[in-house]
Amino acid sequence: MAEASVKESVKTEDWVRLNRKPVADPGFDETVKNLTTEKIEKAVNAVLNVGKNAARFMAPLETCIHCALCSKACHWYLSHNEDPTYAPVAKVKMTLWELIKRKGKVSPEFMKQVARIVFCECNLCRRCSMYCPFGLDIAYQLGMVRRICFILGLVPQNILDQTHSLSATLTQLWITQGDWIDTMQWQEEEVRGDIKNVRIPIDKEGADVMWCPLGTEPKVATYHIARTATIMNVAGIDWTVASQDGWDSANMGMFIRDMETMQRVVRGIYNNAMRLKIKRIVLTE
Amino acid sequence: MLDFIRDPSLYNFVRGPLVWIAFLVFIGGSIYRIREMVLLAKKEKVVVPYMSLRFSLRSILHWIIPFASVNWRIRWVVTTVTFPFHIGLVFLPIFLLAHNVLIYESWGISWWTVSEGFADIMTIIVIASCVFFFLRRLFAPEVRFVTFADDYLILAIAFLPFITGFLAYHQWLLPHKTMVILHMIFGSMMLISIPFTRLIHMGYLFLTRAYMGSDQGYRHSRDW
Repeated sequence: MAEASVKESVKTEDWVRLNRKPVADPGFDETVKNLTTEKIEKAVNAVLNVGKNAARFMAPLETCIHCALCSKACHWYLSHNEDPTYAPVAKVKMTLWELIKRKGKVSPEFMKQVARIVFCECNLCRRCSMYCPFGLDIAYQLGMVRRICFILGLVPQNILDQTHSLSATLTQLWITQGDWIDTMQWQEEEVRGDIKNVRIPIDKEGADVMWCPLGTEPKVATYHIARTATIMNVAGIDWTVASQDGWDSANMGMFIRDMETMQRVVRGIYNNAMRLKIKRIVLTE
Repeated sequence: MLDFIRDPSLYNFVRGPLVWIAFLVFIGGSIYRIREMVLLAKKEKVVVPYMSLRFSLRSILHWIIPFASVNWRIRWVVTTVTFPFHIGLVFLPIFLLAHNVLIYESWGISWWTVSEGFADIMTIIVIASCVFFFLRRLFAPEVRFVTFADDYLILAIAFLPFITGFLAYHQWLLPHKTMVILHMIFGSMMLISIPFTRLIHMGYLFLTRAYMGSDQGYRHSRDW
């Protein structure tokens, strides 16, 4: 009975089908094949928990007067010739409002479009909140939708893989501790071509600054490390890098709202900071 | 057809109990909704600890002054319409002579009122603004895309008391008393619907602005 009613409500779908260039991403195309309406419904209800939700989620939902004054904040909207489907409020309409209205009973195809909207057409930059007369946190709401997609696995493959790496190794790109320390020492030698006897201090206790690079830097952009070391030394800053897990500040979990990995990355950095008794954490951006 | 409206018992009802009900629902309901939202916010880990009175007031101030924020300047047409509209919507009923007379007759108190001519102009502004918002919902593509039936309902809720009040004052279209009764019904309807519809943005506005203002202020940024 229950299954029949679920299918019934899916049949009558009348959602806005966007006519866009397809995004070929195995994270979307392959995952969506395994999804069913029941799975989606379970994920949506787990995240939204409609009725019992917290203020940051409910307040925008009950305040938004649909004025679309947020639209000119969005670079997606502006760069697509003011196409109304790229306006921030339109993205919320096509994803969150639709999911709430249908209580999560939506087709996998719809969910794929939702994932496309929240991952590929919004950067969660929060600029729309600065344009909203009510100051509504629109990005937070789209972030909630990202979380639904993450729980379903509907995430761009690249980000999902990096998040997996973070959850397994606390580094973005599967870097071992040996590789990391080795890269630091290698770059130390490189900088010594410019500055005599320069050091990249590893695990120096009581330093002023702990520098936390992105995983990309030791992996593919090592010259960033050399440049940072040069700057730190020329500026005379008492700095260090951590040798143990939690040196990588690339928090991909944050982008896909994988809160569990997100907080582990942050906790790792703070643990290192406490261990080394440093005064300030400096991140690469 | 509208004879039943002229029945004195109906007039007595809308003049007495209905207004009481409307105000009780409006004030009680609004306080309840806002209290619920504040309690809900206290449950969140990251809302209350970051709240700052200075940043909140700074943000609210920049958005209740016309053209004080970037978006008010970019959307200058909307700004020039929305500010007189909301001022008329909120303050005109409070300072209207006719409303004061009714209160004076009941309780013997009254306060400062605006002149009838000014009130008439403000009413026309509110009505014209409603028409503007209606047309904007119809023709501005980005607004039209996110417009639902209840958006028109909310607009109608704001529009009806003002158009009936205007017609009653000028004694056009319907007999004066009939129009006054309709005006009272629609006015009560507006008050009652505030806690139950998105018209609650009247109260939530200050909460959401305070949150975003504090959030941005904490990051040494600003949201106007």
